[in-house]
Amino acid sequence: MASQTPAVVMDNGTGYSKLGFAGNDSPSFVFPTAIATKAGAGSAAGSAPGRPPVANKPSFLAGGGGGASSHLSAKRGTEDLDYFIGDEALAAANGPGYAINYPIRHGQIENWDHMERFWSNSIFKYLRVEPEDHYFLLTEPPLNPPENRENTAEIMFESFNCAGLYIAVQAVLALAASWTSSKVTDRSLTGTVIDSGDGVTHVIPVAEGYVIGSSIKSIPIAGRDITYFVQSLLRDRGEPDSSLKTAEKVKEEYCYVCPDIVKEFARYDREPDRFLKHTVTSPNGRSVSIDVGYERFLAPEIFFNPEIYSSDFLTPLPNVVDGVIQSSPIDVRRGLYKNIVLSGGSTLYKDFGRRLQRDIRHLVDARIRASEARSGGARSGGLDVAVVTHKRQRHGPWFGGSLLGQTPEFRSYCHTKAEYDEIGPSIVRRFALLGGPGSA
Amino acid sequence: MSTSLRPYLQCVRSSLSAALAISNFASQTSERHNVPEIEAASSPELLLNPLVISRNSDERTFIEPSVNSVRVSLKVKQADEIEHILVHKFARFLTQRADAFLILRRKPVEGYDISFLITNFHTEAMLKHKIVDFVIEFMEEVDKEISEMKLFLNARARFVAESFLTPFD
Amino acid sequence: MLLLDYHNVLIHSLLTERFSGSTPVSIDQVVSDFDGVTFHLSTPESKTKILISIQVKCFRELVQYGAQQVLEREYGPYIVDPEPGYDFSVLIDLENLPAEQEEKHNLIMRLALMKRNAMAAPFERAFDEFAKLSEEASRYTTESAPQGVKEGGEVMAIHYREEEAIYIKASHDRVTVIFSTVFREETDRIFGKVFLQEFVDARRRVLTLQNAPQVLFRNDPPLELAGVPGLQNVNDGTLSYVTFVLFPRHLTPQRRYENISHIQIFRDYFHYHIKASKAYIHTRMRKRTADFLQVLNRARPENEERERKTASGRTFRVQG
Repeated sequence: MASQTPAVVMDNGTGYSKLGFAGNDSPSFVFPTAIATKAGAGSAAGSAPGRPPVANKPSFLAGGGGGASSHLSAKRGTEDLDYFIGDEALAAANGPGYAINYPIRHGQIENWDHMERFWSNSIFKYLRVEPEDHYFLLTEPPLNPPENRENTAEIMFESFNCAGLYIAVQAVLALAASWTSSKVTDRSLTGTVIDSGDGVTHVIPVAEGYVIGSSIKSIPIAGRDITYFVQSLLRDRGEPDSSLKTAEKVKEEYCYVCPDIVKEFARYDREPDRFLKHTVTSPNGRSVSIDVGYERFLAPEIFFNPEIYSSDFLTPLPNVVDGVIQSSPIDVRRGLYKNIVLSGGSTLYKDFGRRLQRDIRHLVDARIRASEARSGGARSGGLDVAVVTHKRQRHGPWFGGSLLGQTPEFRSYCHTKAEYDEIGPSIVRRFALLGGPGSA
Repeated sequence: MSTSLRPYLQCVRSSLSAALAISNFASQTSERHNVPEIEAASSPELLLNPLVISRNSDERTFIEPSVNSVRVSLKVKQADEIEHILVHKFARFLTQRADAFLILRRKPVEGYDISFLITNFHTEAMLKHKIVDFVIEFMEEVDKEISEMKLFLNARARFVAESFLTPFD
Repeated sequence: MLLLDYHNVLIHSLLTERFSGSTPVSIDQVVSDFDGVTFHLSTPESKTKILISIQVKCFRELVQYGAQQVLEREYGPYIVDPEPGYDFSVLIDLENLPAEQEEKHNLIMRLALMKRNAMAAPFERAFDEFAKLSEEASRYTTESAPQGVKEGGEVMAIHYREEEAIYIKASHDRVTVIFSTVFREETDRIFGKVFLQEFVDARRRVLTLQNAPQVLFRNDPPLELAGVPGLQNVNDGTLSYVTFVLFPRHLTPQRRYENISHIQIFRDYFHYHIKASKAYIHTRMRKRTADFLQVLNRARPENEERERKTASGRTFRVQG
């Protein structure tokens, strides 16, 4: 056949799902991983939110009405078709009758019933593909239990009959995404991934495509915290509008990372044009102007000096990264320092990578000097620290998936429906390493 | 129909309770091994007479007792190919989760849909009569579930067909 | 979601965003649709000129049945030479859009319906042919009708998928649309059979559907297809033929547009619902499995309080 159907790449994260086709440079759809289902009529709205809305008996049995009633009434056990996903879910949940659910928690799928329907709608309503015609690349968080993989495969193959399936670890895909950077010359799958989304920031060391699970560290500071911090600064100043939405806008449009906060404060005092105005237009047409000041550089600073925001987590991000690499096996540490890759929306601040690189280098150099001093005269060859920033950071894992999914050998790495039928769900416990040594 | 269900289940209950008189028994053939003899089948003197309880031609229970383990296999009613595929799917779904079920055998005995393997370790850790309760309840519920799923499928198909044809007019 | 949309959501949302006057950015996206249709949205020259190309597996057949004319009618001024590798392209200049908001929406919708429009050609032709034949037939009685009128038009075959095709045939009193469908999987085949049986029965059973198209299904090629080349007659049950008989009331100019859209989506609708029911059955099985586990866990004796306290308040564990 002249053209093969493009592979479908789905990156379902805790906050957002990224869906699209391999080969594209950005996902076709990005929407919240949320599903709004019909809240049980009559029953208490808050009753066990995690439970699937499956009645013990289909309602058509309980109804007891005449079997051949001509109306397409709701009493047919079709509640399971009545739901919305993504932005539509959020909209529906504002109205009456629907309750919102988030099937993924902490990166892992918690509610399979909801996830299955979320996928169903993603595939048929948004992507509009017949899954039998397409190969699928899905992502999973590091340390995902193999049972979850099997459950995923069970759904993808048995419900949807998808032609083929590959499940990749998000961090590995984020590494692959960094290959687009001009700074990256060798396409290695060794490096440290800093993945900062909305809820949590992970530092994940990856050696030759395999995640070093024991060294992963997570930091409870991420995008949402920065937004809250901006909001609190706006409130303290008594700005006319300090809603969460405004804070988010300010964060996304004006924030950057500075090399030194003390000097930056002084600079703001010298150069008043650094203070900006932001205009908020509310839906009713009224617009308010608010001042944007020190929060421009203070907000992302909470990664580097967490004490200005939080009182229980105090380790700066560079120290965490250094600690993660130090706890990894000694023979991969050089590679991990050399290739620190950023991924996720909260790593997009201007000069974030540069500051991180400088701070980590300071830590490393200090340690080398100390050990040189202790050894009494031996010289170290030095250690190369490099933080890679690239254009595809925002949807790093998705883009990595798109990149690998379009390679000609991708299909040979997938497990096909026929293989699944032969061996069963346990087949997905093992995948050959896509993009690893030996391929392309 | 349901009049024959009660005696059938009662019979399975009594037979199974009797068969569950099992105790720890070390392997006679290999030293320091302790295997379910019904599976190993290496010493015929340790196996007891197997027993088939049939409700009708396509519903039966097969109980294979031995000195330290009992294998119970169920054949679930399958009136047509829809029920057949549903039973098959459900059995597959359950065996996929056999880890959690402890006594569920990962592969049914030839000719049956679902098998349980109960060893003396299970009867020591769990209450014997409750295990029997579980098997009986399982048998009841499986039938119910299969027929409900079939009803659902028909209802859904009807609904889908009608919804597709309605806009034409 | 009960019914599938006729239009491509991505094209719709993308163009809505572009048309609303946001700053132009370059686009380069390959988008799939059902039945192996591929779109390519790109901005090859400048950021304000969006090229939309479509590739359809059976485009050559569609052209035979007048797809070019239909597409010209729909997209006339926007058509450009097809992009290499694609069958049909239109170029939209963002600086040269209709002024009216309503027309903008209209254009967006028309573009999002490109697949529908390309596939509509043979249906439109059949509907036209029906109009012609029925007019001719009205001049004759049933017995005296000449051969051509009685027999109806030729069968138009559209091989829109690798192994599946749509056949359309116009007669003087009806238009027959036949889908051949293949099921690879045992479960799907059986579910499919249940669904199709209900399609067949629905009209008989439900009063309000008396006026719906008649549906028939069988495993061997129906009579209408006699003499159509390339029909495999494998009778292993995987291949079935679904026939929709559209009656004059469905073919009126007022109903025409909607009904063409609707019948096109049949296969995808049908497969979507088979999959959705499997998903629901999974949900049920999960629930039931959890129930079974609960029953089994009842067999475990309650964990007795292992921790005991001495009189002085120190705790100790009972061994064993």
